[in-house]
Amino acid sequence: MAETEPGAAATPPAGAAIPTPPAAAPAGRWPRRIGPFIITRRSAWIAAAAVVLLAAVAWGGTGYRYRPYVDEPVRLSGPAPRSDRELKQLVSRLDRRSRELTTRLKAAAPRGVYIVIDQTQNRIYLRKDAETLLDATCSAGSGMVLKESVGKKREWVFDTPRGRFEVLSMLRDPVWAKPDWAFVEDGLPIPTNPADRFESGSLGEYALYFGNGYMIHGTLYERLLGRAVSHGCIRVGREDLRKVWANVRIGTRIYIY
Amino acid sequence: MAMTTPRACVRTCIAVIVAAVAVLSAAACGKDAAAPPVEDDATRAARLQRLNGLLERQVELASGKDFYLVLDPAQSELALMLSGAELQSYRVTGLQVGTPRVSWIGRKDATPWQNVVWLHGELDPPRELDRLVFQAPPPKKDAAEPEPPPIPPTPEEMYPVPSRYQVRFDEGRSIEVRPLDADQKASRFARFGAWWSAKWHDVVAALFREDRDAVRLRLVLSPKDAASLYRSLPPAVRLIVLTKDRPAEAAPKRPAGAGR
Repeated sequence: MAETEPGAAATPPAGAAIPTPPAAAPAGRWPRRIGPFIITRRSAWIAAAAVVLLAAVAWGGTGYRYRPYVDEPVRLSGPAPRSDRELKQLVSRLDRRSRELTTRLKAAAPRGVYIVIDQTQNRIYLRKDAETLLDATCSAGSGMVLKESVGKKREWVFDTPRGRFEVLSMLRDPVWAKPDWAFVEDGLPIPTNPADRFESGSLGEYALYFGNGYMIHGTLYERLLGRAVSHGCIRVGREDLRKVWANVRIGTRIYIY
Repeated sequence: MAMTTPRACVRTCIAVIVAAVAVLSAAACGKDAAAPPVEDDATRAARLQRLNGLLERQVELASGKDFYLVLDPAQSELALMLSGAELQSYRVTGLQVGTPRVSWIGRKDATPWQNVVWLHGELDPPRELDRLVFQAPPPKKDAAEPEPPPIPPTPEEMYPVPSRYQVRFDEGRSIEVRPLDADQKASRFARFGAWWSAKWHDVVAALFREDRDAVRLRLVLSPKDAASLYRSLPPAVRLIVLTKDRPAEAAPKRPAGAGR
């Protein structure tokens, strides 16, 4: 199709009104001369389209390329054996080492019954070797921060610790020796007589102490199990706690994550 | 010259076809029954060397105090572990390795990531705990019974899980976790939005962030497992990727029902 350039309009017939040129398209804009090149409107469009297309192709190929997982090819490292005999000796040595490491790895795994606690999802598992004996809800630390308003202006964070622990002591009908924060939280003065700290019944039937003031124990608030409400201890429902109590002993490993 | 009837012709053809099928079947059976190719000592030594390297790292991880993930492509499993104990395991339904590229050209070779321990893994976006701060009232002897605190949200309410997330490790290594059929229930517009957002982030990472995501393992987990991993992953976790090719006796033992 022929393109009519603004400057090349036909001369109007005699007597006709002379039309005013459109103000939006200044005369002489196209073609343009850039250095030795003369660029028409069409070639400019084609060039722009080509740039956009190239950019789109480049953008499409930028990012991440995903491939199925494959192992790295195996390569023998270290000095190469000089004879078949040496190679056989190397294989035998590596085989022995492999068996030894496998044994050490198996030895690191817990034997017998152990407890696993998922503190963010408030779950407790009791496992024995390859078997799960109990999968139940519990309540872990709320993560709340308690600030004392008078005195030493202490601060407590009610988190459940993560890591590997052991059952250090097992208590039937435990009596809770209330720590300072329990009084501060309730707005009560901290007792000077240690006997005023003891409280019965609030820890349920059993408590398994695993250090630094933390325990796995029962609760009066079973309706809150599954939610993070404790001050860092692990609260377990009555029936589940009985099952835990029946299967663990002092030294049983506890893994909290 | 002997005359052959059409019936005889058909019989002959059938006999030939039956014989050919029998010969081919026998050949196929023979091929199947053939002994597997014998591994030469050099290959076996190389495989054992690699296996021992991995076992040494696993023993090292099991004797440490840090949490670690073991990705086992042979068993299609990701396990969260501590001191040699498997705490939780997740079924991996898809595993791919992603490397950055710019305009269809691979940007650079990633640092070696197999047979090494990945360090300091952190969630991205991070899982944040909105801590409640409680200012204790001044102590009074006859203090009234304090108001019970509000019932806290469930873990599902506390930690909303993004549809896709990453665990970023040192040296530009990361894993990207995608729930299986993550976007299937979303509208087309939402799916396009998710795709666009992921593409945009990938382009920016490939172009400008040389130190991030030099290698990215994409894991597809069930939606439940993906959410569980996001909510439970401890900070500063480590990762080791096992090899597919290893003796059966080297496979880790998994507690039944763990993570299912």
